[in-house]
Amino acid sequence: MINTAAKHIRRAPYQALTAVLIMTLTFFVATLLIVLAYSTSTLLKHYETSPQVIAYLKSNATTEQITTLQRSLESDTRVKKVSFVTREQAMEIYKQATAGNPLLSQYISPNVFPASLEFSIKNLNFAQGLIDEVTKELAIDEVAFTASLGSSQNLPKVVERLTRISNYIRIGGAASLSFLLLSSLLVLLVIIGMRISSRRDEIEILQLIGATPGFIRWPFILEGLFYSTAGALLGWILGFLAVLYASPALSSFFADIPFLPTDVPALLALLGIILGGELLLAIFLGAIGSLVAMKRYLKI
Amino acid sequence: MIKFENVSKKYGSNFAIEDVSFEIPEGEFVFLTGHSGAGKTTLIRLLLRDINPSCGQVLIEGRDIKTLKSREIPAYRRKLGVIFQDFKLLLDRTVYENVKLATEIDGRTTSEEEEKIKKALEGVDMLEKSNLFPRQLSGGEVQRAVIARVLVQEPKIILADEPTGNLDPVTARQIVGLLEDAVKEDKTTVLMATHNADIVDHLKHRVIHLESGKVASDDSKGKYITRFKT
Repeated sequence: MINTAAKHIRRAPYQALTAVLIMTLTFFVATLLIVLAYSTSTLLKHYETSPQVIAYLKSNATTEQITTLQRSLESDTRVKKVSFVTREQAMEIYKQATAGNPLLSQYISPNVFPASLEFSIKNLNFAQGLIDEVTKELAIDEVAFTASLGSSQNLPKVVERLTRISNYIRIGGAASLSFLLLSSLLVLLVIIGMRISSRRDEIEILQLIGATPGFIRWPFILEGLFYSTAGALLGWILGFLAVLYASPALSSFFADIPFLPTDVPALLALLGIILGGELLLAIFLGAIGSLVAMKRYLKI
Repeated sequence: MIKFENVSKKYGSNFAIEDVSFEIPEGEFVFLTGHSGAGKTTLIRLLLRDINPSCGQVLIEGRDIKTLKSREIPAYRRKLGVIFQDFKLLLDRTVYENVKLATEIDGRTTSEEEEKIKKALEGVDMLEKSNLFPRQLSGGEVQRAVIARVLVQEPKIILADEPTGNLDPVTARQIVGLLEDAVKEDKTTVLMATHNADIVDHLKHRVIHLESGKVASDDSKGKYITRFKT
């Protein structure tokens, strides 16, 4: 049966090429969309879990005021990971941030930097209310939201924008992918249908000499599976290459935000999971395409 | 082995065959003759279970084949060997692959089967040309390849619908000779629909003659050949 399917493919190479190319395009786009969805999810998680709020302390804030505020934040269910950053630690952070240009930090003393309480918020929607509350504290000089997309002044916009981007990618991606999958399914259906039509005589002969329906059908099913899995593999390889190609530029754009796994094994694991999922989807698509074509064109 | 009991087949209001009854025992060679449209092909298609009779029964080894379930039909057809005027070989397979197909569909792929294939090809004098494709062969050679495929199936019944229709007289006699060998050696039952009066006349087998879908004569010694010729 495998030999027969291979023979079918060799006999009409242009139809086979068309099917594989369409599948390749679909799975290439699918790979990119999945990576993009993963990245936006990572990005969103990063903003949700990194210390988003920095409450700068007044220079005359007492230790008691600071301790009370820190305890109050630690007991707040909306807050996680509260930490006190001293002037010296703040300077260290600045030095690390400007490591590429040591002159910027050469003549600066820790006194320039205010001490602060840094904390992250469990849900970005709590941010505005919490910031308003902390701002009113006597020990607090100024409160900043560290999301690189804005400051505390436009916090609602930051949250809204991130959520909107994430939704666009998910909904838009799902819609585009559904459209491409449907197109691929139709192409597969038409090509397998053409194959069946062009082999009517052969099917008739096989029936006459007593071939079972399975014996007649399997080569067509295998053909559909070949197109879809070959397309998935090629699409994934192209997607993988595109991600590798774009990674340096994206890394420099997002700076230290790990939008993709930073170590090679984790990146390979992510792409491996994508490949596995795509192959399963391809098998499903190939089987469905072949079966529908046979139901439509192969009456045995 | 084969029994037709008052079998009729209607297409619309026209009878393709009407009230046909006959019986063919195991190991008999029978010619089915008649003009075009007399009902020969309908009769073969009924035996193949390609169509069902409008009324009456077609019995093979005592079983009414109309009662066969869809899933039983392939196994039933593997008991039959079918030969057609237009050969029906797969054009993209060699002679050997075409003959091998008969064992593949049955799931038989042992070395013993390979030997059978070679023996069958040798029997029809096609072993040397077994690697050629049907398009590279003459009509007689293609029909011999079909017979090799049929012989590998080891059928109980061979149904031949005008197998010599596209062949010259000498080749036609060789082909029928191969079918006669199958009857003698394996006790295979052969029902051969033909227009070829010379062959029918020469071989003196039983002749069932159809006219307008009815059995006009059924003669065990080909006595009505003269009538058939007219």
